[in-house]
Amino acid sequence: MTIQVLNPGLQTTIQAAPRVGTRHLGVPASGPADPLSMALANKLVGNELSAPALEVTLTGMSFRADVKTQIAITGATAACTVNGKPAQQHSTLQLAPDDEVQIGPAEKGARSYVAFAGGLLADEVLGSRSTYLPAGFAGYEGRSLRKADRLGLVDAEQRVEELRTPAAFRPPMVGSWTVRAGRSSETGLLMDADQLFDTKFTVANRSNRMGLKLEGARFDVRSDGRMPSAPVFPGTIQCPEDGELFVLSIDAGTTGGYPRVAKVARVDLHLLGQLCPGNQLMLIERKEADAETELREKHNYWSAWLPGVDRII
Amino acid sequence: MHWNNKEWMFVQSAGDDLISISVATPREAQELAGRLRESREHLDVVPGIDSVVVQFDIATMKRRDVEENIAKVLAQPGVADTKARSVVEVPVCYGDEAGPDLERVCEQLGITQDEFVAMHSGREYEVELLGFTPGFAYIGGLDEKLNVSRLPEPRVRLPAGSVGIMGGQTGLYALPGPGGWPLVGRTSFTLFDIHSDDPFVLVPGSKVVFVAVDKL
Repeated sequence: MTIQVLNPGLQTTIQAAPRVGTRHLGVPASGPADPLSMALANKLVGNELSAPALEVTLTGMSFRADVKTQIAITGATAACTVNGKPAQQHSTLQLAPDDEVQIGPAEKGARSYVAFAGGLLADEVLGSRSTYLPAGFAGYEGRSLRKADRLGLVDAEQRVEELRTPAAFRPPMVGSWTVRAGRSSETGLLMDADQLFDTKFTVANRSNRMGLKLEGARFDVRSDGRMPSAPVFPGTIQCPEDGELFVLSIDAGTTGGYPRVAKVARVDLHLLGQLCPGNQLMLIERKEADAETELREKHNYWSAWLPGVDRII
Repeated sequence: MHWNNKEWMFVQSAGDDLISISVATPREAQELAGRLRESREHLDVVPGIDSVVVQFDIATMKRRDVEENIAKVLAQPGVADTKARSVVEVPVCYGDEAGPDLERVCEQLGITQDEFVAMHSGREYEVELLGFTPGFAYIGGLDEKLNVSRLPEPRVRLPAGSVGIMGGQTGLYALPGPGGWPLVGRTSFTLFDIHSDDPFVLVPGSKVVFVAVDKL
Protein backbone atom coordinates (compact mmCIF):
# COMPACT_ATOMS: atom_id res chain seq x y z
CA MET A 1 0.00 0.00 0.00
CA THR A 2 2.32 2.74 -1.22
CA ILE A 3 2.68 5.36 -3.88
CA GLN A 4 6.03 5.92 -5.54
CA VAL A 5 7.12 9.37 -6.64
CA LEU A 6 8.11 9.45 -10.33
CA ASN A 7 8.70 13.20 -10.65
CA PRO A 8 8.49 15.31 -7.47
CA GLY A 9 8.16 18.65 -9.30
CA LEU A 10 9.34 21.93 -7.78
CA GLN A 11 8.11 21.30 -4.23
CA THR A 12 5.69 18.62 -3.09
CA THR A 13 5.10 18.10 0.64
CA ILE A 14 2.71 16.22 2.90
CA GLN A 15 0.42 18.65 4.74
CA ALA A 16 -2.32 18.00 7.29
CA ALA A 17 -3.95 19.95 10.13
CA PRO A 18 -1.77 22.91 11.21
CA ARG A 19 0.10 23.17 14.55
CA VAL A 20 -1.86 25.12 17.12
CA GLY A 21 -0.50 26.55 20.38
CA THR A 22 3.24 26.29 19.56
CA ARG A 23 3.98 29.80 18.33
CA HIS A 24 5.52 30.83 21.68
CA LEU A 25 8.22 28.22 20.98
CA GLY A 26 8.99 29.74 17.60
CA VAL A 27 7.15 26.89 15.88
CA PRO A 28 4.68 28.11 13.22
CA ALA A 29 1.44 26.53 12.04
CA SER A 30 2.42 24.93 8.71
CA GLY A 31 -0.40 22.92 7.12
CA PRO A 32 -1.78 23.48 3.62
CA ALA A 33 -1.25 26.96 2.18
CA ASP A 34 -4.80 26.65 0.77
CA PRO A 35 -6.65 24.59 3.41
CA LEU A 36 -10.00 24.97 1.64
CA SER A 37 -8.76 23.23 -1.51
CA MET A 38 -7.14 20.45 0.51
CA ALA A 39 -10.38 19.89 2.44
CA LEU A 40 -12.27 19.64 -0.86
CA ALA A 41 -9.86 16.91 -2.04
CA ASN A 42 -10.23 14.95 1.21
CA LYS A 43 -14.02 15.23 0.99
CA LEU A 44 -14.01 13.54 -2.44
CA VAL A 45 -12.31 10.41 -1.06
CA GLY A 46 -14.34 10.25 2.16
CA ASN A 47 -11.56 11.42 4.51
CA GLU A 48 -11.57 13.78 7.44
CA LEU A 49 -11.09 17.24 5.96
CA SER A 50 -7.51 17.64 7.17
CA ALA A 51 -6.23 14.08 6.57
CA PRO A 52 -2.58 14.08 5.38
CA ALA A 53 -2.47 14.83 1.63
CA LEU A 54 0.01 16.14 -0.96
CA GLU A 55 0.54 19.83 -1.61
CA VAL A 56 1.97 20.27 -5.14
CA THR A 57 3.58 23.58 -6.11
CA LEU A 58 3.42 25.29 -9.53
CA THR A 59 5.14 22.71 -11.77
CA GLY A 60 3.03 19.64 -10.96
CA MET A 61 4.33 16.13 -10.15
CA SER A 62 3.70 12.46 -10.93
CA PHE A 63 3.48 9.19 -9.00
CA ARG A 64 2.53 5.53 -9.36
CA ALA A 65 0.23 3.65 -6.97
CA ASP A 66 0.77 -0.05 -6.17
CA VAL A 67 -2.75 -0.69 -4.94
CA LYS A 68 -6.38 -0.24 -5.94
CA THR A 69 -7.53 2.98 -4.30
CA GLN A 70 -9.28 6.31 -4.78
CA ILE A 71 -7.73 9.78 -5.09
CA ALA A 72 -8.91 13.31 -5.81
CA ILE A 73 -7.10 16.37 -7.19
CA THR A 74 -8.16 19.96 -6.39
CA GLY A 75 -6.64 23.44 -6.11
CA ALA A 76 -4.78 25.13 -8.96
CA THR A 77 -6.24 24.58 -12.42
CA ALA A 78 -4.00 21.97 -14.07
CA ALA A 79 -4.19 19.31 -16.77
CA CYS A 80 -4.11 15.93 -14.99
CA THR A 81 -3.84 12.42 -16.40
CA VAL A 82 -4.10 8.81 -15.24
CA ASN A 83 -2.01 6.54 -17.52
CA GLY A 84 -1.86 9.42 -20.00
CA LYS A 85 -5.63 9.79 -20.27
CA PRO A 86 -7.23 13.05 -19.12
CA ALA A 87 -8.53 12.92 -15.54
CA GLN A 88 -11.00 15.38 -14.02
CA GLN A 89 -10.06 17.61 -11.11
CA HIS A 90 -12.68 17.85 -8.36
CA SER A 91 -13.79 14.23 -8.94
CA THR A 92 -13.20 10.96 -7.15
CA LEU A 93 -10.71 9.04 -9.33
CA GLN A 94 -10.44 5.23 -9.22
CA LEU A 95 -6.89 3.87 -9.36
CA ALA A 96 -5.84 0.31 -10.17
CA PRO A 97 -2.43 -1.11 -9.17
CA ASP A 98 0.41 0.38 -11.28
CA ASP A 99 -1.67 3.31 -12.47
CA GLU A 100 0.43 6.42 -13.10
CA VAL A 101 -0.96 9.81 -12.11
CA GLN A 102 0.35 13.08 -13.46
CA ILE A 103 -0.60 16.50 -12.10
CA GLY A 104 0.25 19.05 -14.76
CA PRO A 105 1.73 22.53 -14.24
CA ALA A 106 -0.59 25.05 -12.57
CA GLU A 107 -2.37 27.12 -15.21
CA LYS A 108 -4.22 29.33 -12.73
CA GLY A 109 -3.45 29.26 -9.02
CA ALA A 110 -0.22 28.03 -7.39
CA ARG A 111 -0.91 24.79 -5.54
CA SER A 112 -2.71 21.53 -6.31
CA TYR A 113 -3.80 19.07 -3.62
CA VAL A 114 -3.94 15.30 -3.99
CA ALA A 115 -5.90 13.34 -1.39
CA PHE A 116 -5.81 9.55 -1.00
CA ALA A 117 -8.58 7.38 0.42
CA GLY A 118 -7.68 6.91 4.09
CA GLY A 119 -4.89 9.52 3.96
CA LEU A 120 -1.10 9.30 3.73
CA LEU A 121 1.13 7.95 6.48
CA ALA A 122 3.08 10.87 7.93
CA ASP A 123 5.36 11.64 10.89
CA GLU A 124 3.76 13.66 13.67
CA VAL A 125 5.86 16.32 15.41
CA LEU A 126 4.62 18.77 18.05
CA GLY A 127 1.01 17.77 17.49
CA SER A 128 0.82 17.87 13.68
CA ARG A 129 1.71 15.75 10.65
CA SER A 130 2.29 18.82 8.49
CA THR A 131 5.78 19.13 6.99
CA TYR A 132 7.69 22.16 8.27
CA LEU A 133 10.52 22.57 5.77
CA PRO A 134 12.70 25.21 7.51
CA ALA A 135 13.32 22.93 10.53
CA GLY A 136 13.00 19.71 8.51
CA PHE A 137 10.40 17.88 10.57
CA ALA A 138 7.09 15.99 10.26
CA GLY A 139 5.35 14.82 7.08
CA TYR A 140 7.74 12.70 5.02
CA GLU A 141 11.18 12.92 6.68
CA GLY A 142 10.61 16.65 7.19
CA ARG A 143 11.36 17.42 3.57
CA SER A 144 9.82 17.87 0.15
CA LEU A 145 9.46 14.68 -1.90
CA ARG A 146 12.17 13.32 -4.18
CA LYS A 147 12.10 10.92 -7.09
CA ALA A 148 11.60 7.28 -5.99
CA ASP A 149 10.30 8.15 -2.49
CA ARG A 150 7.67 5.64 -1.36
CA LEU A 151 4.80 7.02 0.70
CA GLY A 152 2.60 4.73 2.74
CA LEU A 153 -1.19 4.79 2.61
CA VAL A 154 -2.99 4.37 5.93
CA ASP A 155 -5.89 2.37 4.50
CA ALA A 156 -6.38 2.49 0.74
CA GLU A 157 -9.84 0.97 0.86
CA GLN A 158 -12.58 2.72 -1.06
CA ARG A 159 -14.95 4.57 1.27
CA VAL A 160 -17.15 6.64 -1.03
CA GLU A 161 -19.08 6.28 -4.27
CA GLU A 162 -17.78 8.62 -6.94
CA LEU A 163 -18.27 12.25 -5.97
CA ARG A 164 -17.86 15.49 -7.87
CA THR A 165 -17.50 18.91 -6.28
CA PRO A 166 -20.60 20.92 -7.28
CA ALA A 167 -19.69 23.91 -9.47
CA ALA A 168 -20.78 26.33 -6.74
CA PHE A 169 -18.11 24.88 -4.42
CA ARG A 170 -15.13 25.02 -6.76
CA PRO A 171 -12.99 27.97 -5.62
CA PRO A 172 -12.28 30.19 -8.63
CA MET A 173 -8.63 30.21 -9.72
CA VAL A 174 -7.72 33.58 -11.22
CA GLY A 175 -4.76 35.81 -11.99
CA SER A 176 -6.06 38.82 -10.10
CA TRP A 177 -7.13 38.54 -6.45
CA THR A 178 -8.91 40.68 -3.91
CA VAL A 179 -8.17 39.85 -0.28
CA ARG A 180 -9.84 41.35 2.78
CA ALA A 181 -7.45 42.83 5.35
CA GLY A 182 -7.47 45.16 8.32
CA ARG A 183 -5.16 47.53 10.14
CA SER A 184 -2.62 46.19 12.62
CA SER A 185 -0.40 47.36 15.47
CA GLU A 186 1.95 49.63 13.49
CA THR A 187 -0.31 50.80 10.66
CA GLY A 188 0.04 54.26 12.23
CA LEU A 189 3.73 54.33 11.25
CA LEU A 190 2.82 54.54 7.56
CA MET A 191 2.83 58.08 6.21
CA ASP A 192 -0.16 57.16 4.03
CA ALA A 193 -2.06 54.14 5.36
CA ASP A 194 -4.87 54.54 2.82
CA GLN A 195 -2.33 53.56 0.15
CA LEU A 196 -2.61 49.98 1.51
CA PHE A 197 -6.13 49.70 0.13
CA ASP A 198 -5.56 51.74 -2.98
CA THR A 199 -2.69 49.90 -4.65
CA LYS A 200 -2.62 47.19 -7.29
CA PHE A 201 0.18 44.96 -6.02
CA THR A 202 2.08 42.37 -8.03
CA VAL A 203 3.20 39.18 -6.29
CA ALA A 204 7.01 39.01 -6.58
CA ASN A 205 9.11 35.99 -7.53
CA ARG A 206 10.43 35.79 -3.96
CA SER A 207 7.30 34.07 -2.70
CA ASN A 208 6.87 30.70 -0.99
CA ARG A 209 5.29 29.00 2.05
CA MET A 210 7.06 31.52 4.32
CA GLY A 211 5.54 34.54 2.65
CA LEU A 212 4.82 36.65 -0.39
CA LYS A 213 6.67 39.79 -1.33
CA LEU A 214 4.50 42.49 -2.87
CA GLU A 215 5.68 44.88 -5.57
CA GLY A 216 3.94 47.88 -7.07
CA ALA A 217 4.28 50.46 -4.32
CA ARG A 218 6.89 51.72 -1.91
CA PHE A 219 5.55 52.86 1.43
CA ASP A 220 7.01 55.63 3.56
CA VAL A 221 7.32 54.14 7.04
CA ARG A 222 8.47 55.98 10.16
CA SER A 223 10.76 53.26 11.43
CA ASP A 224 14.32 53.36 12.74
CA GLY A 225 14.77 49.60 12.33
CA ARG A 226 14.90 49.00 16.08
CA MET A 227 11.34 48.01 16.89
CA PRO A 228 11.31 45.38 19.66
CA SER A 229 10.47 41.98 18.13
CA ALA A 230 6.78 41.27 18.36
CA PRO A 231 4.40 38.39 17.56
CA VAL A 232 3.39 37.92 13.92
CA PHE A 233 0.92 35.50 12.33
CA PRO A 234 -0.01 34.07 8.94
CA GLY A 235 -1.55 37.03 7.13
CA THR A 236 0.52 39.68 8.96
CA ILE A 237 1.78 42.25 6.44
CA GLN A 238 5.10 43.83 7.37
CA CYS A 239 6.88 46.86 5.97
CA PRO A 240 10.68 47.00 6.27
CA GLU A 241 12.47 50.31 5.80
CA ASP A 242 12.85 49.67 2.06
CA GLY A 243 9.08 50.24 1.91
CA GLU A 244 8.17 47.03 0.07
CA LEU A 245 5.51 44.99 1.84
CA PHE A 246 5.61 41.28 2.50
CA VAL A 247 2.74 39.05 3.61
CA LEU A 248 3.57 36.25 6.04
CA SER A 249 2.23 32.78 5.26
CA ILE A 250 1.82 29.49 7.17
CA ASP A 251 5.53 28.68 7.54
CA ALA A 252 6.68 32.20 8.49
CA GLY A 253 8.51 32.91 11.74
CA THR A 254 6.40 33.61 14.82
CA THR A 255 7.96 36.92 15.86
CA GLY A 256 9.43 39.75 13.83
CA GLY A 257 10.59 43.31 14.12
CA TYR A 258 9.43 45.05 10.98
CA PRO A 259 6.34 47.22 11.46
CA ARG A 260 3.10 45.19 11.21
CA VAL A 261 1.11 47.49 8.97
CA ALA A 262 -1.88 45.24 8.13
CA LYS A 263 -3.28 41.76 8.62
CA VAL A 264 -5.16 39.64 6.10
CA ALA A 265 -8.52 38.73 7.61
CA ARG A 266 -9.02 35.06 8.51
CA VAL A 267 -11.92 34.90 6.02
CA ASP A 268 -9.50 35.24 3.05
CA LEU A 269 -6.30 33.74 4.47
CA HIS A 270 -6.75 30.55 2.41
CA LEU A 271 -6.55 32.57 -0.83
CA LEU A 272 -2.88 33.42 -0.15
CA GLY A 273 -1.96 29.80 -0.95
CA GLN A 274 -3.02 30.23 -4.57
CA LEU A 275 -1.22 33.52 -5.32
CA CYS A 276 1.64 33.03 -7.76
CA PRO A 277 4.45 35.30 -8.89
CA GLY A 278 3.10 37.83 -11.37
CA ASN A 279 -0.48 37.73 -10.03
CA GLN A 280 -2.24 40.98 -9.15
CA LEU A 281 -3.45 41.61 -5.61
CA MET A 282 -5.74 44.28 -4.14
CA LEU A 283 -6.31 44.58 -0.39
CA ILE A 284 -9.87 45.46 0.64
CA GLU A 285 -10.20 47.09 4.06
CA ARG A 286 -12.37 45.37 6.64
CA LYS A 287 -12.93 46.41 10.25
CA GLU A 288 -12.79 43.61 12.83
CA ALA A 289 -16.57 43.27 13.26
CA ASP A 290 -17.20 43.04 9.50
CA ALA A 291 -14.38 40.55 9.02
CA GLU A 292 -15.97 38.37 11.70
CA THR A 293 -19.47 38.58 10.19
CA GLU A 294 -18.14 37.77 6.73
CA LEU A 295 -16.21 34.77 8.08
CA ARG A 296 -19.44 33.41 9.57
CA GLU A 297 -21.17 33.98 6.22
CA LYS A 298 -18.42 32.11 4.40
CA HIS A 299 -18.67 29.23 6.90
CA ASN A 300 -22.45 29.11 6.42
CA TYR A 301 -22.08 28.97 2.66
CA TRP A 302 -19.39 26.28 2.57
CA SER A 303 -20.84 24.08 5.30
CA ALA A 304 -23.55 22.95 2.83
CA TRP A 305 -20.83 20.94 1.05
CA LEU A 306 -18.10 20.80 3.71
CA PRO A 307 -19.56 20.30 7.21
CA GLY A 308 -16.80 21.26 9.67
CA VAL A 309 -15.36 23.95 7.38
CA ASP A 310 -15.22 26.32 10.37
CA ARG A 311 -12.26 24.29 11.65
CA ILE A 312 -10.51 24.52 8.26
CA ILE A 313 -10.68 28.20 7.27
CA MET B 1 7.80 56.32 19.04
CA HIS B 2 4.34 54.91 19.12
CA TRP B 3 5.35 51.54 20.48
CA ASN B 4 6.72 53.10 23.65
CA ASN B 5 3.53 54.92 24.46
CA LYS B 6 2.07 52.33 26.84
CA GLU B 7 -0.98 54.24 27.95
CA TRP B 8 -2.09 54.79 24.39
CA MET B 9 -2.03 51.11 23.49
CA PHE B 10 -2.28 48.96 26.60
CA VAL B 11 -4.77 46.48 25.10
CA GLN B 12 -5.60 46.91 21.42
CA SER B 13 -6.60 45.06 18.28
CA ALA B 14 -3.80 43.79 16.03
CA GLY B 15 -6.10 42.30 13.40
CA ASP B 16 -9.49 40.61 13.03
CA ASP B 17 -8.58 37.72 15.36
CA LEU B 18 -5.70 39.29 17.34
CA ILE B 19 -5.50 41.28 20.57
CA SER B 20 -2.19 42.86 21.60
CA ILE B 21 -1.27 43.69 25.19
CA SER B 22 1.66 46.03 25.86
CA VAL B 23 3.98 45.17 28.75
CA ALA B 24 7.14 46.78 30.15
CA THR B 25 9.69 43.97 29.99
CA PRO B 26 10.32 40.61 28.25
CA ARG B 27 10.02 38.91 31.63
CA GLU B 28 6.60 40.45 32.14
CA ALA B 29 5.61 39.26 28.65
CA GLN B 30 6.65 35.67 29.47
CA GLU B 31 4.85 35.72 32.79
CA LEU B 32 1.60 37.16 31.41
CA ALA B 33 1.65 34.84 28.39
CA GLY B 34 2.04 31.86 30.72
CA ARG B 35 -1.01 32.86 32.75
CA LEU B 36 -3.11 33.60 29.65
CA ARG B 37 -2.15 30.22 28.17
CA GLU B 38 -3.40 28.48 31.32
CA SER B 39 -6.93 29.72 30.64
CA ARG B 40 -6.92 27.56 27.46
CA GLU B 41 -9.41 29.90 25.83
CA HIS B 42 -7.16 31.04 22.97
CA LEU B 43 -5.70 29.46 19.84
CA ASP B 44 -2.26 30.90 20.58
CA VAL B 45 -0.72 33.21 23.17
CA VAL B 46 2.56 34.62 21.90
CA PRO B 47 4.93 36.82 23.94
CA GLY B 48 7.17 39.39 22.26
CA ILE B 49 9.81 41.67 23.78
CA ASP B 50 7.33 44.26 25.04
CA SER B 51 3.95 42.77 24.17
CA VAL B 52 1.81 39.64 24.25
CA VAL B 53 -0.54 38.85 21.37
CA VAL B 54 -3.55 36.58 21.78
CA GLN B 55 -5.06 34.86 18.73
CA PHE B 56 -8.62 33.70 19.28
CA ASP B 57 -11.20 31.75 17.29
CA ILE B 58 -13.54 34.42 15.92
CA ALA B 59 -15.88 31.70 14.64
CA THR B 60 -16.75 30.69 18.21
CA MET B 61 -15.73 33.60 20.47
CA LYS B 62 -16.68 37.24 20.68
CA ARG B 63 -13.91 39.82 20.87
CA ARG B 64 -15.61 41.48 23.84
CA ASP B 65 -15.59 38.22 25.83
CA VAL B 66 -11.92 37.61 25.05
CA GLU B 67 -11.06 41.17 26.13
CA GLU B 68 -12.95 40.67 29.39
CA ASN B 69 -11.07 37.47 30.05
CA ILE B 70 -7.77 39.25 29.39
CA ALA B 71 -8.78 42.06 31.76
CA LYS B 72 -9.44 39.47 34.50
CA VAL B 73 -6.04 37.85 34.00
CA LEU B 74 -4.34 41.27 33.97
CA ALA B 75 -5.99 42.06 37.32
CA GLN B 76 -4.46 39.00 38.97
CA PRO B 77 -1.02 39.29 40.57
CA GLY B 78 1.95 37.99 38.56
CA VAL B 79 3.94 34.92 39.54
CA ALA B 80 7.70 35.35 39.94
CA ASP B 81 9.90 32.90 38.02
CA THR B 82 12.26 31.53 40.67
CA LYS B 83 13.64 28.56 38.73
CA ALA B 84 17.46 28.39 38.97
CA ARG B 85 19.21 27.85 35.65
CA SER B 86 22.79 26.90 34.83
CA VAL B 87 24.99 29.00 32.55
CA VAL B 88 25.31 27.78 28.95
CA GLU B 89 28.58 28.55 27.12
CA VAL B 90 28.07 29.30 23.44
CA PRO B 91 31.25 29.36 21.29
CA VAL B 92 31.20 32.12 18.67
CA CYS B 93 33.54 32.67 15.73
CA TYR B 94 33.39 36.44 15.12
CA GLY B 95 33.81 38.37 11.85
CA ASP B 96 34.95 37.48 8.32
CA GLU B 97 32.76 34.88 6.62
CA ALA B 98 31.19 33.83 9.92
CA GLY B 99 30.06 37.38 10.67
CA PRO B 100 29.74 39.22 7.34
CA ASP B 101 28.32 42.42 8.87
CA LEU B 102 30.83 42.80 11.72
CA GLU B 103 33.08 45.17 9.78
CA ARG B 104 30.18 47.49 8.86
CA VAL B 105 28.74 47.30 12.40
CA CYS B 106 32.11 48.29 13.90
CA GLU B 107 32.43 51.20 11.44
CA GLN B 108 28.95 52.35 12.40
CA LEU B 109 29.78 52.08 16.12
CA GLY B 110 33.27 53.59 15.73
CA ILE B 111 35.09 50.69 17.39
CA THR B 112 37.55 48.01 16.24
CA GLN B 113 36.54 44.39 15.71
CA ASP B 114 38.71 43.34 18.67
CA GLU B 115 36.92 45.87 20.86
CA PHE B 116 33.59 44.49 19.69
CA VAL B 117 34.56 40.90 20.55
CA ALA B 118 35.83 42.00 23.96
CA MET B 119 32.55 43.77 24.68
CA HIS B 120 30.29 41.00 23.36
CA SER B 121 31.94 37.85 24.71
CA GLY B 122 32.82 36.77 28.24
CA ARG B 123 29.82 38.25 30.04
CA GLU B 124 26.58 36.74 31.25
CA TYR B 125 23.37 37.35 29.32
CA GLU B 126 19.81 36.09 29.74
CA VAL B 127 17.47 34.56 27.12
CA GLU B 128 14.43 36.84 27.01
CA LEU B 129 12.30 35.18 24.37
CA LEU B 130 11.99 32.23 22.01
CA GLY B 131 10.39 33.05 18.70
CA PHE B 132 10.82 33.62 15.00
CA THR B 133 11.83 30.02 14.10
CA PRO B 134 12.28 26.93 16.33
CA GLY B 135 15.23 27.48 18.64
CA PHE B 136 15.81 31.15 17.78
CA ALA B 137 16.78 32.81 21.06
CA TYR B 138 16.49 36.53 21.78
CA ILE B 139 19.22 37.26 24.32
CA GLY B 140 19.08 40.52 26.25
CA GLY B 141 21.61 42.57 28.16
CA LEU B 142 23.83 43.69 25.29
CA ASP B 143 26.16 46.60 26.08
CA GLU B 144 24.29 49.82 25.28
CA LYS B 145 27.16 50.93 23.03
CA LEU B 146 26.45 47.99 20.69
CA ASN B 147 22.94 49.08 19.75
CA VAL B 148 22.48 48.82 15.97
CA SER B 149 19.42 48.66 13.73
CA ARG B 150 18.03 45.93 11.45
CA LEU B 151 19.15 45.55 7.86
CA PRO B 152 16.97 47.77 5.64
CA GLU B 153 16.15 44.67 3.58
CA PRO B 154 16.24 41.23 5.22
CA ARG B 155 18.60 38.53 3.93
CA VAL B 156 16.88 35.80 1.91
CA ARG B 157 19.01 33.06 3.41
CA LEU B 158 21.59 32.89 6.16
CA PRO B 159 23.31 29.79 7.59
CA ALA B 160 22.26 27.97 10.77
CA GLY B 161 24.16 29.16 13.84
CA SER B 162 24.33 32.77 12.63
CA VAL B 163 24.75 35.27 15.48
CA GLY B 164 23.10 38.65 14.92
CA ILE B 165 22.71 41.78 17.01
CA MET B 166 19.93 44.36 16.97
CA GLY B 167 18.55 46.98 19.32
CA GLY B 168 20.36 45.83 22.46
CA GLN B 169 19.92 42.11 21.86
CA THR B 170 21.81 39.17 20.45
CA GLY B 171 19.88 36.71 18.31
CA LEU B 172 20.91 33.14 17.63
CA TYR B 173 19.54 31.72 14.37
CA ALA B 174 19.06 28.00 14.97
CA LEU B 175 18.02 27.27 11.38
CA PRO B 176 19.06 28.40 7.92
CA GLY B 177 16.56 30.81 6.40
CA PRO B 178 15.71 34.48 6.04
CA GLY B 179 16.80 37.04 8.62
CA GLY B 180 17.05 40.78 9.13
CA TRP B 181 19.68 41.23 11.87
CA PRO B 182 23.26 42.29 11.10
CA LEU B 183 25.42 39.15 11.50
CA VAL B 184 28.55 39.43 13.68
CA GLY B 185 29.51 35.77 14.01
CA ARG B 186 28.48 32.16 13.91
CA THR B 187 28.26 29.27 16.40
CA SER B 188 28.41 25.50 16.00
CA PHE B 189 26.26 25.17 19.14
CA THR B 190 23.05 23.16 18.51
CA LEU B 191 20.07 25.33 19.43
CA PHE B 192 17.26 23.06 18.29
CA ASP B 193 17.26 19.26 18.08
CA ILE B 194 13.93 17.74 17.15
CA HIS B 195 15.29 14.23 17.91
CA SER B 196 15.97 15.16 21.53
CA ASP B 197 13.35 14.70 24.26
CA ASP B 198 13.79 18.38 24.98
CA PRO B 199 14.30 19.99 21.54
CA PHE B 200 14.71 23.55 22.87
CA VAL B 201 18.21 23.87 24.33
CA LEU B 202 17.73 27.47 25.49
CA VAL B 203 14.52 28.71 27.10
CA PRO B 204 13.46 32.11 28.44
CA GLY B 205 15.50 32.69 31.61
CA SER B 206 18.51 30.60 30.45
CA LYS B 207 21.88 32.24 31.19
CA VAL B 208 24.31 32.46 28.26
CA VAL B 209 28.01 33.35 27.95
CA PHE B 210 29.57 33.78 24.48
CA VAL B 211 33.09 32.39 24.20
CA ALA B 212 35.19 33.73 21.30
CA VAL B 213 36.78 30.95 19.20
CA ASP B 214 39.08 31.16 16.15
CA LYS B 215 37.18 28.68 14.01
CA LEU B 216 33.99 26.61 14.11
